[in-house]
Amino acid sequence: MRIDKHPILEFPKKNEVFFMFEGEQVSGYEGDTIASALHALDVKILSYSIKEHRPRGFYCAIGNCASCKMIVNGIPNVKTCITPLTTGMVVERQKNKGVIK
Amino acid sequence: MIHKDLIIIGGGPSGLSAAKTALESGISVLILERSNHLGGQLVKQTHKFFGSKEQYAKTRGYDIAQKLLLDLKHFENLTIKTESTVVGLYSDNVVTVLSADKYERYQAKAIIVAAGASEKFLAFENNDLPGIYGAGAIQTLMNLYGVLPGKEAVMVGSGNIGLIVSYQLIQAGVKVKAIIEASSKIGGYKVHASKIARLGIPILTSTTIKKAIGETKLESIEIVLLDENWKEIEGTSKNIKVDTLCISVGLTPMHQLISMIGAEMKFVSELGGFVPIINEHHQTSINSVFICGDAIGIEEASSAMMEGYLTGLYVSKYLKHEHPEYEKETIKYEKQLSMLRDGPFGSKTKVGLQKLKEGNLHVES
Repeated sequence: MRIDKHPILEFPKKNEVFFMFEGEQVSGYEGDTIASALHALDVKILSYSIKEHRPRGFYCAIGNCASCKMIVNGIPNVKTCITPLTTGMVVERQKNKGVIK
Repeated sequence: MIHKDLIIIGGGPSGLSAAKTALESGISVLILERSNHLGGQLVKQTHKFFGSKEQYAKTRGYDIAQKLLLDLKHFENLTIKTESTVVGLYSDNVVTVLSADKYERYQAKAIIVAAGASEKFLAFENNDLPGIYGAGAIQTLMNLYGVLPGKEAVMVGSGNIGLIVSYQLIQAGVKVKAIIEASSKIGGYKVHASKIARLGIPILTSTTIKKAIGETKLESIEIVLLDENWKEIEGTSKNIKVDTLCISVGLTPMHQLISMIGAEMKFVSELGGFVPIINEHHQTSINSVFICGDAIGIEEASSAMMEGYLTGLYVSKYLKHEHPEYEKETIKYEKQLSMLRDGPFGSKTKVGLQKLKEGNLHVES
């Protein structure tokens, strides 16, 4: 969900950015991070905890806590809350410590 | 390896301010910033600041960030690297950086650590459910990216950040059902609390969160009343249906880099956690390493900026490249800083700094 009206801020419409999430094509906007684009699509689960496989979303949104880590273009442990979204990115939920292929 | 006179770690209010006075002194400066923008947390702050003109009063946070950047525009001696995370700091003043998947090394005659702070977390059942965020995270999501965290929210913590972000949630169109506060008193400024009260949002004091409820994301929370000894009062549990929970229980200085280099550290609760011991020139026990802003004690951005200007000046003297108006400028900013700390919330910082000065290394409560 995106803000459409705000008393102070303006959010002019930006160009759509298409990317892949869990095998499906979805889209965000220019200026989004991966996490903000997913959140706007109501995707709150970004990864699963390593031992108990509990669902995890982001907590800090500024790259401190690593709760938002995902697999991006095959690379694990990418902090999606500070990684700008770009066209054609392949984003997957991470379920382990991260495996480098 | 690239060499500079001064490396500033962090491009927030404090780091940018330090860069200004350092550059005015004629020394070369490199600013390293982890995110893709400068201005730190100012860029998401839509509220107007308090204080005097020198402290950018009546100006919104994101406009202050623009002003700080404009001040640096004409300096040729300045290099700025964004999306560059400092991963190491060494005693020979080498800074290692991860930038666009490349590992780089820089060396300087002096370092200023202006790494800022991180949000504290709170222990309760299911506190890891998606839908539970730091209040600062909510501010970033809404004000920077224009994305709503959810439909209905509860704020934990009634400090200034908790109050301001609650107000910003309402501005963005989210229903704030309550602000809960474990203490018996509201933590933040009365002017912010009154704004919230006028909108009919209850601020529930002596109340804490017991658990979060939900399968794969937050669906509701259970809150409970506390007695004067911070113990739960039985039979006072209540459920509130929410999809968003904001945690605003304070900040803690980012001490990792400064700990890594082996500076003498101390735990000072008034300053928010572990901080290095410094002298009156913001110099740590490692002579060439200086520190300013939230990294040396949690305060407001106004104080962080004044500390930044001062630390840039102090470094100019340390590098024997003294600012052309060193005395005048130092007196000016020291006065500003002490005025800010004379405010209602400054006493905590003053106590903390006093404890830091005493230098005894035992951990205090």
